[in-house]
Amino acid sequence: MQTSLPPSASSSGKPEMKEHCNHSADCLKMIQLILDGEATDQQLVRVKANLESCRPCIEMYQLEKEVKELLTKRMEKRCCPEQLVATIKSRILSFS
Amino acid sequence: MATIPEVMSDTPTRDDDQLLPDSDPTEQPSADTPARGYSDAQKYQIFNKEFMPHIDSMYNFAFRLTTDEDDANDLVQDTYLKAFRFISSFEQGTNAKAWLFRILKNSFINDYRKKSKEPAKVDYQDVETTYNSEDAESEHTVDLRAESVSDLIGDEVATALNSLPVDFRTVIILCDIEGFTYEEMAKILDIPIGTVRSRLHRARNLLKEKLRDYASSMGYKEENEE
Ligand SMILES: [Zn+2]
Repeated sequence: MQTSLPPSASSSGKPEMKEHCNHSADCLKMIQLILDGEATDQQLVRVKANLESCRPCIEMYQLEKEVKELLTKRMEKRCCPEQLVATIKSRILSFS
Repeated sequence: MATIPEVMSDTPTRDDDQLLPDSDPTEQPSADTPARGYSDAQKYQIFNKEFMPHIDSMYNFAFRLTTDEDDANDLVQDTYLKAFRFISSFEQGTNAKAWLFRILKNSFINDYRKKSKEPAKVDYQDVETTYNSEDAESEHTVDLRAESVSDLIGDEVATALNSLPVDFRTVIILCDIEGFTYEEMAKILDIPIGTVRSRLHRARNLLKEKLRDYASSMGYKEENEE
């Protein structure tokens, strides 16, 4: 679905978009660190640069983000049954 | 490769860095821990103000681990009773949620996993053959597109998650559903941060494979985008 870029001569200041990533396994690990909020500033800078110029990395980022959001937003959260809360509270009172 | 012990159950990893800090807020309750002299009133106050607010998260975690409502009930109850019994080893104002999660996870391993119907051994063999070399781990990327999973519903995600071996399921629950940091997860699971990172990485690859199966069974194909 993407159209090939027009062969714009020297006019474009954009970095060339890579269609293949030679270190996608490492990129994937880095992308997960970013999404988990565990990346260092240095790692952030590196991934940011990659995400502007590497198509496989952009797609990996979108997939990881989507999967994480499925887990955070779309999974049913089960509440603790009221009965269990009551049982725990009464059991605790009979201690000490 | 040798068989994996049932309780430890994770393959060794290269990057076992980062020792845990000395003051561990999620110290497992034990008779050795210096007791803090809480009065009864203080104990109840800590229990109600710091422990009970996490009960829905705890129940969720228990249900995701056991995949059974009755087992989840028992596990949560056992955990809270243990937490109260060992409350003097909890330092007021520290990370109660991580402390409770650690007790729950230990109770699960010690009391429930053994009698669980889950065929853990089969699962681990499966995992081993998929990831039995470092190469396989580091080169492994799942061929799946974001658009293919964006239409999956919660039930499908839950089923995919439940089908993962429990150690892999656990890191995804702790990180993505409960939002713990890697450092907190390391303490809850008693593993180095490097192991948290690599286990999470492998867990996500497994999950994506399951999601890909769902997505393709729903008729998505890579090429047929409109
Ligand atoms: Zn790349």
